[in-house]
Parts: sequence; structure tokens; C-alpha cells
Amino acid sequence: MTQTAPGVRIDGLTVVYKTPAGELPAVRNISLTLEPGSITGIVGESGSGKSTLALSLLNAVQPPGRIAAGSVEIDGLGDVVGLQGEQLRKARGKHIGYVFQAAQNSLNPLKTVGKQLLDLGRSHGVEDLRGLVREAKELLGRMGLDGARVLDSHQHELSGGMRQRVGIMLALVLNAHLVVLDEPTTALDMITQANILKIVREVHAERGLTTLVITHDIGVVAEVADRLAVMYGGRLVEQGPTREVLGSPRHPYTRGLIKAIPRLVGDIDEARALPGRPPTLATVPKEGCVFRERCPLRMDVCDTVDPDAVADGSRVVACHAVAVNANVKEHA
Amino acid sequence: MVVIARRLAGHLARGIVMILVVATISFFIVRSIPGDPVAANVQKLIQSGMDPQAAEQATRVLYGFQPKGSLWEQYTQYMAGLLHFDLGQSVTHAGAPVTQVLGEAAKWTVIPVLAGTLLSFLVGIVMGVYAAIKRTGKLGDILAISGSLLHGVPQYVLGLLLSAIFATLIPILPADGPVDILFEPGWNAGYIGSLVEHAVLPVLTYALAAYGGWILAMKSSVVTVLGDDFILAAELRGMKRSIIFRYIARNAILPLFTILALSLGVLLGGAVFIERIFNYPGLGLLLLDSITMRDYALMGGAFLLITVSIIVANILADLFYSVIDPRVRSGEEVSG
Amino acid sequence: MSVLLESSSTSATMRRNFWAGVWRVMKRKPSRMVGVVLILGFVFMGVFGPMFYPAQLDRDPNAITRPPSWEHWLGTDDQGRDVIALVVTGSRYVLLAALVTAVITVVVGAGIGLFSGFKRGRWDNVLMRLTDMKLTIPGLPLLLVLSTVWKFSSAVQMGLVLGLLSWGGVARAVRSQTLSLRERGFIEAARGLGLSTTHIVSKELLPSMAPYIAMNMLIAVTGGVYAQVGLFFLGVLPYESNNWGQMLNTAVFRSGALTVPSALGFLIGPLLAILLLTLAIVLVVDAMDEIFNPRLREE
Repeated sequence: MTQTAPGVRIDGLTVVYKTPAGELPAVRNISLTLEPGSITGIVGESGSGKSTLALSLLNAVQPPGRIAAGSVEIDGLGDVVGLQGEQLRKARGKHIGYVFQAAQNSLNPLKTVGKQLLDLGRSHGVEDLRGLVREAKELLGRMGLDGARVLDSHQHELSGGMRQRVGIMLALVLNAHLVVLDEPTTALDMITQANILKIVREVHAERGLTTLVITHDIGVVAEVADRLAVMYGGRLVEQGPTREVLGSPRHPYTRGLIKAIPRLVGDIDEARALPGRPPTLATVPKEGCVFRERCPLRMDVCDTVDPDAVADGSRVVACHAVAVNANVKEHA
Repeated sequence: MVVIARRLAGHLARGIVMILVVATISFFIVRSIPGDPVAANVQKLIQSGMDPQAAEQATRVLYGFQPKGSLWEQYTQYMAGLLHFDLGQSVTHAGAPVTQVLGEAAKWTVIPVLAGTLLSFLVGIVMGVYAAIKRTGKLGDILAISGSLLHGVPQYVLGLLLSAIFATLIPILPADGPVDILFEPGWNAGYIGSLVEHAVLPVLTYALAAYGGWILAMKSSVVTVLGDDFILAAELRGMKRSIIFRYIARNAILPLFTILALSLGVLLGGAVFIERIFNYPGLGLLLLDSITMRDYALMGGAFLLITVSIIVANILADLFYSVIDPRVRSGEEVSG
Repeated sequence: MSVLLESSSTSATMRRNFWAGVWRVMKRKPSRMVGVVLILGFVFMGVFGPMFYPAQLDRDPNAITRPPSWEHWLGTDDQGRDVIALVVTGSRYVLLAALVTAVITVVVGAGIGLFSGFKRGRWDNVLMRLTDMKLTIPGLPLLLVLSTVWKFSSAVQMGLVLGLLSWGGVARAVRSQTLSLRERGFIEAARGLGLSTTHIVSKELLPSMAPYIAMNMLIAVTGGVYAQVGLFFLGVLPYESNNWGQMLNTAVFRSGALTVPSALGFLIGPLLAILLLTLAIVLVVDAMDEIFNPRLREE
């Protein structure tokens, strides 16, 4: 329905999972805005809650998880958290496109891609199915594939890169203008990765989309995203324009991430991995800063008070040490 | 297609080897029966006035080989006969060729087994889906345990129980043969009706015996498919529920065809019991009777034919599976 | 792996935790406990049961083939003997033969499976082809045909024959387990550490497969009971103690249990015994499955 790229406002989103130890939060109090027409990248280690966040945009958190609080407002749809049943189903695919993690098994192995495309069309009440097929072939051609052949193939006849491109095609073919890509390049070789990212950038520009890319690979975000958000232990610890965040990271976690990457030039020993391990659902601390165990800037207040997200222009950082510093600088 | 042809060729080759093996086994067994019936037969004929040559010849026609000559000669005689589809003659059926006797009996085995398999398959699949959906609740548990129980209980126990309850205790169904002899065989209502009525208990027994396997397999298959990525993917793409349901159903049923052959094999092998209990003149009963009546040529033939049916069932089931699974069609190795 | 668990205290703790886990599973579904109790009951019956009865059971010529009554809870047989007594005295043979069957099935099957999965190559091919062939031959008809040349009525003989005929399935299953363990690098790692073949097999492979083998053994017991009772039921083997199958045979074909309700007790007795035994084993195997496959535990 939206002919233009929609904006997305996530406000105070909290997603919990039911475990034998009670309901534990996988995503806690996240507020994030995706400007219309932007590409945002969310970076985090496994267990940081980034995939859960992505699923929340479609209100598709699987049981035993559920959205406990907050809202996800999408232009043209309203608050997705409030959508249910047929309304929700129709929104998925038609307004929001979702591309799976390396799409290795996101297709029915028993049916050809073409047949599943038709199923998709029928599910969304598309009357001109031939037009849909034409559109699909065009999209696939645009991505460097032989459309007709791919549509006639089964999943196992396609390579990893081809499957990923089919995934992207299916997310776009119904003309959705909000696209979410979950780990689009994991499990692909470097060359295919570069190709896929190029396609993502180009298609984003051509069709005027709002895109969200979820990844654990900073390199991917650096190549593709305008804005970068860093997640840790279910919290958003830093946000800002990609270049700025990568160039001068403020949150100690972001700093640690970037420091851990070996540079092409210089001494390889300069790269230092972050000590410790990321928290799991069960080990995330219930109060205080989630990162304190591994933080070089740890203070007493970090043990008890959850740091607020403090905005500084287009940069947002949630860290006590950073806030204190900024205060000092202000009042200096 | 080439892939399927190759598979077929492989199956046929193995099948033929199996048949040879089984024929060899029966040959050796017949030869080793205490009392050497083959030689005894020759003696008997000679005593009744036949001259030795004719007696040997008659015996050979009867059993497929004659007592004189080396083991190898006898074996080749027997095998040669097999190649001509000559399995000897049945003593208890007034000298009729074994193949003829077997042919008449085959339908009483094959039809109830197929009917039972089909019934258990259909019901088992539906219940399997339920069992999978409700697997965390009491209902799911009950379905699973009852499935296991039925799966583990031997066929004859089921047959006897059914017979005891429905034919003896509350006599509403007959359990004494395939059809009421009062009816004229033919396409008339009375005969057909009686056939069906008499078939209820045996078919039900086969069905109950196989049902357990189907419900357990289907439940496990559905649970696996439900956890597959593409189901979630379809949901996230906004596919209609009915379409997703079809995706789940077809993907879950597919692997079940690999056990179709096994299930048929079990039922065919166990037909002896059901046919004995319900007095159905099928291959199993024929085998049993031939043993008690010492009709050894018939015994060998029945044993062979039962095995052949199982082999054929195996081949057909595998072929069917190769055709419907696109992954196999293009030559990929799908495990189980 | 086991190499690291040399200290006895750690293994003792592991054992304790294991049994605690078992207890938890049992408590969650009390039906499992029923299974264990039943099995123990049958074992007791098989071992001690016949001792409670005289060698020659009392025959009451006035009470031939009577339906269940207060005196004889399951009625009497065609010679006036109490059905329950028959079931109990017959259980020793049944259980013994089934046990022998299970042991042979598992020993031969696991042995071949392990060997095949371990060696691979030509041995594997040959053995598996043989196993496949064996699996294709229908067991029951073969047993029937075999009974013409050899009357294997004694419990041990019966167990032997049945066991030798049914190791196929176990062999295939154990082989695939071995292969999958091999893929997970257990064997490579152990070899890399320079451990001998026997050590690898007994200390590394077998413990991982032990629960699986135990479950198969129980299943083989049911298979053994099924086969021998069936054979006696069909009447192809001469009489041997009060085997349940023999009882079924007499009940159906001589006392006309299927035509006359009075003989139903005689029929129900052995049937019930088989049903209960099967139920017991199903429950226990189900419990074992949950215990040893924690993935299936749906807490």
C-alpha cells in the first residue's frame, strides 16, 4: 500500500522468553527509529537478541517467546504489535519483506520456486499472477540469475548464493517497501557475499526502500548501512551514522568490537579480542549494565543502575562512563 | 529418469538374487526333511506297481527333482524347473500344479493385506498429525503410548482378541472363512456382501497391527517438519494457513513411504496367523497346511511366493518414492 | 570423554546425578513406573512362579473348560487345570526363550554392526548386503519351513533359532550409530591419542551406545515372545511345557474358544499375559528413551 519507503519507530520494545526459570528478556526496552529510505544495520554477537528484534517487526516472535511491552510503529500499518490474524498475515510479505539467514532452507524442498511464488501470490490476493511471474523473473535477472530456469528449479538444485537471491526476490516481488535481512551473508563465500551486498544496496536505491540489515559481521554493516546500531545482551548500547560510530566508537563494547578486528596494515597483535563471553538468556544480569562484567570502564553505579540511552545529536549511547565523561566535558 | 531406471535395475538384480537364495533354501530344506519324502515317494509309487523309471519321472514332476543323482544335478533340475515357472505339483490338491494352487490362494492374502495397509495408513496419518500437535498434552501422550502398544502387540493377539470379542462374545461378525458357502460365487449382491462381511475382521486385524507404526512415524515426521525453517519462512512471507498446512502435510508424509515396504512385508509375512485364525485360504494358510500335510512341493512354492511378494512390494514402494520425491529424481542421496 | 573421568569421585557424582534424573522422569509420568513394576513382576513370575505350583498341575475332570469363576479367576483348560496356574508355569519357558533370543540378537547384531561400522570398506559392504538379504526373507515363513527339519522346541534351542534370525535390524542400527560416532570424530580423536582398538570400542563406543543397545534388547524380548508363542500357536512344534502359545493353540483349536464363550477364559489368560508384558516393555522403553534422549524431554 505504501508506495514510498516507510519509517519505523520502535519504542520501548521488550520481548521475553518463557523458561523453567521464569520469563527472561531477550530484548529489553529497545527504542530505535528507522528513517524512511535509510539502510540501518544492527550488529551483535549471537544471543544479543538481534534476530528476536527483527522478528518483532513482523510480530512473529515464536513461542515460548512473546512481546511483553513496547510498540513497533510502521508507516502505513500502524503498531504491528497490535496486529493479529488476517491483518497481520497480509502485512507480512506485502508490506514487510523478510529475507532469511542465508536462506539455505527457507523454501519448500518439494516444490519448484515458481510454484511457491504462485502460492505466495495467491496468498496475497494477487490477481495478475502472470505479471507477478514476470516481475520475479525481472528481479532475478537483475540479480544476475536466469529467471526462467530458477523458477523451474527445486531448492536443492540451487547453490547457496542462488538461494539467497531467491529469498531476496520473494521479499521484494510483492512490492514491499520495508525489507528486513537477517544475516544475509552468513554461510556464503566472500565473493558471493560481496555480490549480495551490492545487490542489496542497488535494489534499496532503485526501489526506494527502508532496509534493516541484521548481522554479526561489522564488515557487512560498514559496506551497506547508513546507520549502525549495536546490540548487546538484549540492549541497544550505541547508535549513530555508520562512519561516525566506526570511526570514533563511544561505548566500550563497540570500542572492544572494533579493536578486535585485525587491520590490513600494522601489527596484527594490536587486535585484541574482548575478554569473557556474551551473556545468554539465562545469564543476563537483571539489573545494572549488561556489559559490566567485561567492561574496562566499570564503575560502582554500573552494578545497580541500567544506563539510559543518552542522545548527542544523531549519536545515542547507553553507558554510565560515557555519560559521566560528557557531563564532565560540558561542565568543564 | 535415468536415476530411476538405475535404481530399478539395482532392485531387480537384488530381487532376483533373493529369489534364488530363497529357492535354494527351500530346496535344501526339502532335501533334508527327516524321512526323505522325495525318495519315499518314489518307493511308494514303485510299490503301487509303477516301474522305477516312471516312478522317478513322476516324482520329479512332483517335486522338481528326483532322488537319484548328485546334489548338484538335483539342484540344477530344481532350478531349471523354476525358470519354467514349474514348482512341482501339490499332493494335497490332487496333483494340481503348485503354481495353480498358489495363484488361486494369492488373492486371499494380497487383497486383505492391501486393504488393511491402506486403512491403517489413512487413519494412522491423521492420528499422527494430532499426536504431533498435541504432543505436550495428555491426549498426545495417550495417542503415542497406544500407538506403541498396538505396534508392539503381535498380530495374532489382535486377531484372537477381535475374533473373541466380535465373533464369539458379541457375535456380530463372522470369523470362519472368506465367504458364506451358501452364496454363489459371482458378481451378485449376496456373494459380494458376504465377502465384505467376512473380510471385516481380518482386514481390521491387519489394520490395527500396522496402525501403530504409521501413527508413530507420522508424529515424528510432523514434529520434524514443524521445526523446519521453511515453515517459519512461509509464515513470515504471509502465506495462507491452508497453503502452509499443505506444505506440512506433504513434507511429513513423504518419508513415510520408505516404511511402506516394511509394513507390507511385515503383514505379508504374518499373514499365516490371520489366515489361520479366520480360516482364509491364502498363501500363509497354504504354507501352514502344506507343512502339516507334508505337501513339500507346495510348501516350497508358498514360501517362495510369499518372499517374492515382499520383494515386489519393496521394489514398488521404492519406485513410488523415487518418483514423488524430487530430490531423488535428480539423483541426490536422501538418507532414509 | 571417559578418558577424562578417571577420578572415582567424579564418576560417582555423575552416577548419582544420573539416577536422580531417572527418578525425575519416572515421577513425571507415573505410568512408566507401572512399566518397571510389571517387568519386575514378570521376572519374578518367571523365576519363582513355577515353584509355587506342583510339577503336575491339579486337574479337575469336573471342571473342564470352564469360564472365569471365583475358584478359577480365568477359568480352566481342557484338562481342568487352572488357567492362571498354566500362565505362571508357562512363563518360565517363555521368558527364558525370549531372554536367550534377546541376548543373541543383541550380541550378534551389535557385534556385526560395530565391526561393520568400524572397519567399513569391503567388510562393511559384504556384511551389509548379507544383512539386507537376511532382512528380506520373511521370518515367520522361514521358521515354519525350518520346523520341518528341526524341532527346536526347547527353550534354549528356540531362543537360539529366533536370535539368529533377528539380529539384522540391530546390526543395521548399531552400524549407523557407529558411523555417526565416527563422523563426530570420537574414533579419530581416540586414535590420535594412541588408544588401542579394544579400548576404543569398549570405553568410547559402547558406553554411548549402551542405552540404545539396552532398549533394543527389550524390544528383542517382545519380538522373541511374539515369535515363539506364535509358532506354538500354529502347532508346528511339539508340546513343550505350558507355553502360552501352546495354550492359545489348545484353546482355539481344541476347546473352540472362538466359537464357545466358556473357553474364553482359557484364551484370555495367555493373551493378557502377552499384552501386559508388551505394555510393560513399551512403557520402560519409552522411559529409557526420554532419559537418554534429553532433547526429547519437554519440560
